[in-house]
Amino acid sequence: MQREIHTIGLPKALLYYRYGVLWKTFFEELGLTVVVSPDTDRAIVEAGEAASIDECCLASKVYCGHVSALIGSCDALFVPAFASDDHRCGFCTKYQSLPDLVQNTFRDALGGAGCDVLSIFVGNIAKPKKVREAYLELARKLGSTPHEAVRAYRRATRAQKAFDAAHAKAQAEAVELIDRYRALAQTDPSGAEKENVPVPILVVAHPYVSHDAFISGDVLGAIEEAGGFALFADETDHDRTYKRSFDFSDTLPWEINRELVGSILELKDKIAGVIIMSAFPCGPDSLFADALIRSIDDLPMLRLTLDAQSGNAGVQTRVESFMDILGYQAKGGYLHG
Amino acid sequence: MADTSIRQVLKAKHKAEMRGRSRAERKENRHKSTKIAIFRYAYYAPAFKYLVEQVFDCEYLELPKSTKRTAEMGIQASTDDVCAPFKHMMGDWIEALEMGADIIVQSGGPCRLGYYGEMQEKILRDMGYDFTMLNFSHGIEQGYFGWGKEVIKLVNPDIDIPYGIKQLLAVGHMMSSLDKARDIYMAEGGFEVERGSTKRVWEKMMDSFSVCTNAKEIDAVFTQFKADMRGVERVKPERPIRIGIVGELYTAIDENSNLDLDEKLMGMGVEVHRMLNFTNRYTHYNEENMRRGIAEYVTYDMGPTSTMTLAAAKRYMEDGFDGIIHAKSAGCTPEIDCIPALQRMSEDHHIPVLYLTYDTETSDTGLMTRLEAFYDMLAMKRTKTR
Repeated sequence: MQREIHTIGLPKALLYYRYGVLWKTFFEELGLTVVVSPDTDRAIVEAGEAASIDECCLASKVYCGHVSALIGSCDALFVPAFASDDHRCGFCTKYQSLPDLVQNTFRDALGGAGCDVLSIFVGNIAKPKKVREAYLELARKLGSTPHEAVRAYRRATRAQKAFDAAHAKAQAEAVELIDRYRALAQTDPSGAEKENVPVPILVVAHPYVSHDAFISGDVLGAIEEAGGFALFADETDHDRTYKRSFDFSDTLPWEINRELVGSILELKDKIAGVIIMSAFPCGPDSLFADALIRSIDDLPMLRLTLDAQSGNAGVQTRVESFMDILGYQAKGGYLHG
Repeated sequence: MADTSIRQVLKAKHKAEMRGRSRAERKENRHKSTKIAIFRYAYYAPAFKYLVEQVFDCEYLELPKSTKRTAEMGIQASTDDVCAPFKHMMGDWIEALEMGADIIVQSGGPCRLGYYGEMQEKILRDMGYDFTMLNFSHGIEQGYFGWGKEVIKLVNPDIDIPYGIKQLLAVGHMMSSLDKARDIYMAEGGFEVERGSTKRVWEKMMDSFSVCTNAKEIDAVFTQFKADMRGVERVKPERPIRIGIVGELYTAIDENSNLDLDEKLMGMGVEVHRMLNFTNRYTHYNEENMRRGIAEYVTYDMGPTSTMTLAAAKRYMEDGFDGIIHAKSAGCTPEIDCIPALQRMSEDHHIPVLYLTYDTETSDTGLMTRLEAFYDMLAMKRTKTR
């Protein structure tokens, strides 16, 4: 009963922020038209909230909003499942249940619009051959020859790697530039230049939180306004940070959280403070954020839980006061001259 | 590390005792006086006791019935947005450590549960407690072998391994006996003539189970339970209201966290069923084959107990049950994600589902009201469609 699939929809939420380039390139290489849902806005969030169970996390609601925005504009949606077969690099069960969640939530809408849900099941991301097989299988289902499929997957993984590497490199350069600027500013006899050095703040959040402007925009804006420079804990070398995370924890089960904590350890000496952002209510972060705050005590940390609130005053105040405290500390405490 | 002190003292003591003795003599004296506590979990305490005494060859620290104080201590020690089992377990641990436990055992698991152990250990250490935690999230890469190594390393280096394995199988046997007994109890308990007579039989069985030392005795206790159950006078209507409980592994079973859901339903004269238990989830669990039956709703394994939740719900609906109760802890992601599928199932089969979310509440008035309303609705539906 498989229909011809010409356009494929990618919801711009959750793991799109981690694998988006790969998915987009992969399907384009297979000769499909890719439709990515627009940036998150209030309408999308509201549509997602209306479709979801109340208790779902904000990120899941946003995902459902993107799905509903795409239904009707494509022949199929790509909703992959990522599971935790390996207990040290797994994912939140949300990613695992996503295809079936979408199927059941939007059963009538999908059927009405004649929109399929295409999916792959990735059990263990530490086994690249298995992951590759899953993608090739999907390509076969879409009617590609094995040769086309292999080529598309190769190009897609390369594009994703290049994208990640470029971001990691840019961030590493930014860290170094700030370092050099600070060193230079020290030599300014008037001492006025020191004020201008941006304060490097590490934003620790799942990529779909930190890079979704609707969710995190207020926080990032407030950091910049207060003279900070936001570095992202997910824009680092994933392999290295993953390995590094074992210094922090043996049993932490989630890949993304591992990379985040690995980044904190890697960048510890280069940053002034950490802002942990979670979408309300985040399962992994409910334990992870507490673990960070309990275990890392030589870094100032601010924990923010974000929901789809319409006002930004609360968040702004908290970020501002956090930045103020960092400023006072840098000057040697509240009672400096 | 703080945990070394106790361990070192015990180790040194043990070494001194064993010095100069032959291997045979050492084997004679395998028993350790370390006190081990396992968190409170449903009706499995006799099996946990058996595990500690027969397999680990240590002392089992029996926790008394949980109180309001337990829950409050647990809440205080946990972060707000963590799921409810974490808070209950924290309360259990604090109480166990106050009572003199040397080792506490955390099971680990497939979701957030896998990180519980490390986090709880961290919190308890920050609170100043001194203990050893046997956390089965360690060694999980090697499965049973890895766990065995953990036990030998942390709990008792002198375990008699062949005997231990035999007794470990008996633990599984006891758990499935307990599960079978519970199934009978839940199905029949609601129709007793003399109030409390079934509960007495159940409690007698629990007491007998907790003094078992081998598989034969376990079988004897179970047989006795069945005989006792037959002896309880009951009046059961031909077609009683039947409700199936589905949901999350901890909350849907544990009477302490679901505020005695089973007993409450039985008290209304309901035949209660629950496929979800330790045996069905672990000893004989074939996720893929179970998923075949719900293929119209679900393509993949959705998480820890999702397949069982949906498969059980579908079976109850097809069996003509009157209603389903979905019980889970607040914020349980895998079970929340089951809800859309359950809703579709409920639409297709016209069987109502009551969704219950538990945090660490202690008052059951709200729950009782909802259950009564649900029961009334099912009873009315019955008379209307008859």
